[in-house]
Amino acid sequence: MELFELTAASLSQKLRKKECSAVEITRSVLGQITKKEEQIGSFVTVCEEQALEKAQQVDKKLATGEPLSPLAGIPIGVKDNICTKDVLTTCASKMLHNFVPPYNATVVEKLHMADAVLIGKCNMDEFAMGSSCENSYFKKTKNPWNPDCVPGGSSGGSAACVSAGEAVLALGSDTGGSIRLPAAYCGVVGLKPTYGSVSRYGLVAFASSLDQIGPLGRSVEDVANLYSIICGCDPMDATSASREYGDFAKELDRSVKGMRIGIPEEYFGDGVEPQVKQAVMVAVDLLVKEGAQTVPVSLPSTDYALSAYYIISSAEASSNLARFDGVKYGYRAEGYQNLMELYEKTRSEGFGDEVKRRIMLGTFVLSSGFYDAYYKRAKQMQQKIAQEYDEAFSRCDIIVTPTSPSPAFKIGERTNDPLKMYAADICTVTVNIAGLPAISVPCGAAQDKMPIGLQMIGPKFSEQTLFNAAGCFENLCGGFGVAPAMKG
Amino acid sequence: MNYEMTIGLEVHAELNTATKIYCGCKNSFGAQVNSNCCPICTGMPGTLPTLNEKVVEYAVKMGHALNCKINPVSKQDRKNYFYPDLPKAYQISQFDIPLCENGYLDVMIDEKGNTKRIGVTRIHIEEDAGKLLHDESFAGSLVDFNRCGVPLIEIVSEPDMHSSAEAKAYLETIKSILQYIDISDCKMQEGSIRCDINVSVARPGEPMGTRCEMKNVNTFSGAVRAIEYEAKRQIEVLEAGGEIHQETRRWDDAKGQNFLLRSKEDSHDYRYFPEPDLLTIVIDEEKIKRLKDELPELPNKKCKRYMDSYGLPHFDANLLTENPDKAAFFESCVALKNCKTKSISNWLLGDVSRILNEKNSTLADTSLTPEKLTDMIVLIEAGTISVTAGKTVLDEMIFSDKTPKQVVEEKGLAQISDTGALEAIVQSVMEANPKSIADYKGGKTNVIGFLVGQCMRHSKGQGNPAVLKELIEKKIQNN
Amino acid sequence: MQIDIQHIAKLSRLFIEEEKVEKFQKEMQSIVAMCEKLPPMDGEYTAVDPSNPMRLRQDLVKPSLNREQLLQNAPQTQAGCVVVPKVVE
Repeated sequence: MELFELTAASLSQKLRKKECSAVEITRSVLGQITKKEEQIGSFVTVCEEQALEKAQQVDKKLATGEPLSPLAGIPIGVKDNICTKDVLTTCASKMLHNFVPPYNATVVEKLHMADAVLIGKCNMDEFAMGSSCENSYFKKTKNPWNPDCVPGGSSGGSAACVSAGEAVLALGSDTGGSIRLPAAYCGVVGLKPTYGSVSRYGLVAFASSLDQIGPLGRSVEDVANLYSIICGCDPMDATSASREYGDFAKELDRSVKGMRIGIPEEYFGDGVEPQVKQAVMVAVDLLVKEGAQTVPVSLPSTDYALSAYYIISSAEASSNLARFDGVKYGYRAEGYQNLMELYEKTRSEGFGDEVKRRIMLGTFVLSSGFYDAYYKRAKQMQQKIAQEYDEAFSRCDIIVTPTSPSPAFKIGERTNDPLKMYAADICTVTVNIAGLPAISVPCGAAQDKMPIGLQMIGPKFSEQTLFNAAGCFENLCGGFGVAPAMKG
Repeated sequence: MNYEMTIGLEVHAELNTATKIYCGCKNSFGAQVNSNCCPICTGMPGTLPTLNEKVVEYAVKMGHALNCKINPVSKQDRKNYFYPDLPKAYQISQFDIPLCENGYLDVMIDEKGNTKRIGVTRIHIEEDAGKLLHDESFAGSLVDFNRCGVPLIEIVSEPDMHSSAEAKAYLETIKSILQYIDISDCKMQEGSIRCDINVSVARPGEPMGTRCEMKNVNTFSGAVRAIEYEAKRQIEVLEAGGEIHQETRRWDDAKGQNFLLRSKEDSHDYRYFPEPDLLTIVIDEEKIKRLKDELPELPNKKCKRYMDSYGLPHFDANLLTENPDKAAFFESCVALKNCKTKSISNWLLGDVSRILNEKNSTLADTSLTPEKLTDMIVLIEAGTISVTAGKTVLDEMIFSDKTPKQVVEEKGLAQISDTGALEAIVQSVMEANPKSIADYKGGKTNVIGFLVGQCMRHSKGQGNPAVLKELIEKKIQNN
Repeated sequence: MQIDIQHIAKLSRLFIEEEKVEKFQKEMQSIVAMCEKLPPMDGEYTAVDPSNPMRLRQDLVKPSLNREQLLQNAPQTQAGCVVVPKVVE
């Protein structure tokens, strides 16, 4: 196997055993990028020079015997809505096509401290709005399992680069499923952490109360390692939780003995493809054989989750994206006569249609006379959904559902029907609405050979339980890896 | 036709914290453009606010000072609108749960010390916006973000005022309280207090009229002019058979006029919603109580006390309590109990204030202590020095370590009250002015002042005028 | 619920070209229809959560960003400021 195909855990071991250098690892990944990037299009920006420079620093540290973090020398892709000092951060939008932040996101600072290698900035749906990665201003990222299919979104580039061996790990962001959906579509592991466990400072906000940065990788251990590095209370983010975290990879016991797995009937209804249901149930049976037991649970308000999600997320987005006006940074239209025209032209030319739809929806639900009927009602529904989860978790330890009702769909298939596109998030949005952690792991293949994703949801701050269950399943599968067509 | 006007005020006061409300940038006025800024206060993508604890404390203090109910649980909201001086395109403010509500302020409305109670609807915290600079030499407007994120409290009154004088008294009381509890510099010229004014007029006995809001009022005298102007405008409209429409108007103090800014139909739809980047503000009861216990006696109460217990006129009491340092100084003087309270007031408000004004300084900048001032007054009251000499003593000692006695000795200012020493002077003055004496005898008794003055000149200002007057009268009588 | 797309666009400082109004209108209409599926809810909604109080920041000065970096992304600057078309209000 080539270096780019290995997990961070085995690369880290090789580094320590001096079986390879950090520069060799980075070169191997850069080599794969050279080979595959034209076909896959995972990145908006590839940071070749900086990556090699960082790798050299790691090699120096190795030579002097300095203690290193498990991520030292590991090439990591970072979603392009996470601010990187002096490196273009575009949110895949024309609006920020030239934006170079003078500051790092807290998670990026943490990656630097851990000596991880920033390999590039990952493509995404514009401002993280989308489920297919087709809403990028720059390019459409392809699914490494089948380039005719979407990689899922919005963190499509993050999932694709990991699946294609163009990075060992990646950071994405998840507002309604944006890490888990592309992880499922691209056959990799993706974690949406508990709201408040990872700092949002430097994440360009889509919906502040739902957004959370999270890791994607080709193994549960790698994802647990990256999560251990990025989580933690941040004084720069008032919504980050005041608590201590352990080392999730060290604590990984991969055991489900005695674990109660909740199966919510609402997630196995007519909207979910039979082959997806079947794959998930097969996985559950395997876990039961390992000592878990299943419990039927009910999440009756699931049908309303998508409505509540679109209202809350769009309301916040309409306000969060108001700052993009051509005055302080990013795109500025030409040929305006006055301030109003500067605003309207810049925003109309700088934003894509999906972003405009959501801004307008958000403006509408907050506007005078409509607030109570939409926004307030959605917030009430949010509280109800959270209560239903609390109730369910009084009877089980984790809940298992499909990550998505279907495997990856064809590029262009849903672009003309926003509602059909939104339906891809049906299994993931409630998790964000309730602020819970959830992990998506690959669980078999569809008839067309595309990966299927299984979602494990836990109570707040139960990431360790999720890693253990996912790790157990990973062992049963014999591990995951880069997409077949991407192997060296 | 008679009309009654009704006035409600929204006062915005900048707080004098060290840092801004949501980031660690310096909160200071007059820095170079865009030098007190960071990614947070300029609304760069991905940045987040963190609330300054002092801002919450200051607002709660003001809430206590204005007798408000303090909400131990409150939140912040976004007020959305596009403007170049508002980099996030929303202002973080408080909408339905302000930190403080349902208070009142007793404002003194006449010289007799009568007060009127003005309701305080609410006090909330919010961030200030930046500044737009206009100049003929610029093709457009320039934006300076320094003021972005400067902490503000907004104090909203009930529509309880019915004259510009009441409004002015309210504003001045608010300002003195802000200074007393030391939460705002209150520098009008720097725009650290601004107000929006709601005015309506109605015929007596009729329901309140439609109100209009005036923005951009930056001085208290401007507020008086703006209120008078707006009430007159509304009365003229009504008298001409028209009706008042709810609208926002802009006060132009230089022109002394206001102008329509926007009608109700064009009013902003601010789309308020809870700020998702910040959590619930929770202040524990102990802290709320501590902040209350820390409050000093407030100027409006102090003023009333000075009138009631020291018997000072309103004019004196009001000026003495204007700022906390002056009041504290005054009370220290009174506590020494060695001279008349009114004399202390006269000196503090008279010559001491004059010197401070001339030197553009404050009491703290001087070497004057309550002991020094009262010692000097005692010298005057005992007849040891004249009032004129007292002024010299003050001039000499206010910026030096010298005591009044030292100055009197050094300058030889001690008054001569010894009749023996003054007899000769009186004798020679009388000999030199026989006409004046004749006039006096003829009934023009006011020439005595002239004669005393002549004696003072001869004594080089050291004669005790009371003793001199007595001697002159006695001599004329015995003549 | 009929959406006034031009009014909402104006509030959002977006300009929708004439030929796209119908498309946006239709899409927005269907999204709003989806959102209207939410049932009316009982009970008061309160946006505060005293069980999860906010940490407050100490009032300590941190260095500001230098002006060059602050304005490095601004489309137009003059005299250390960003420039906008002349405004009066």
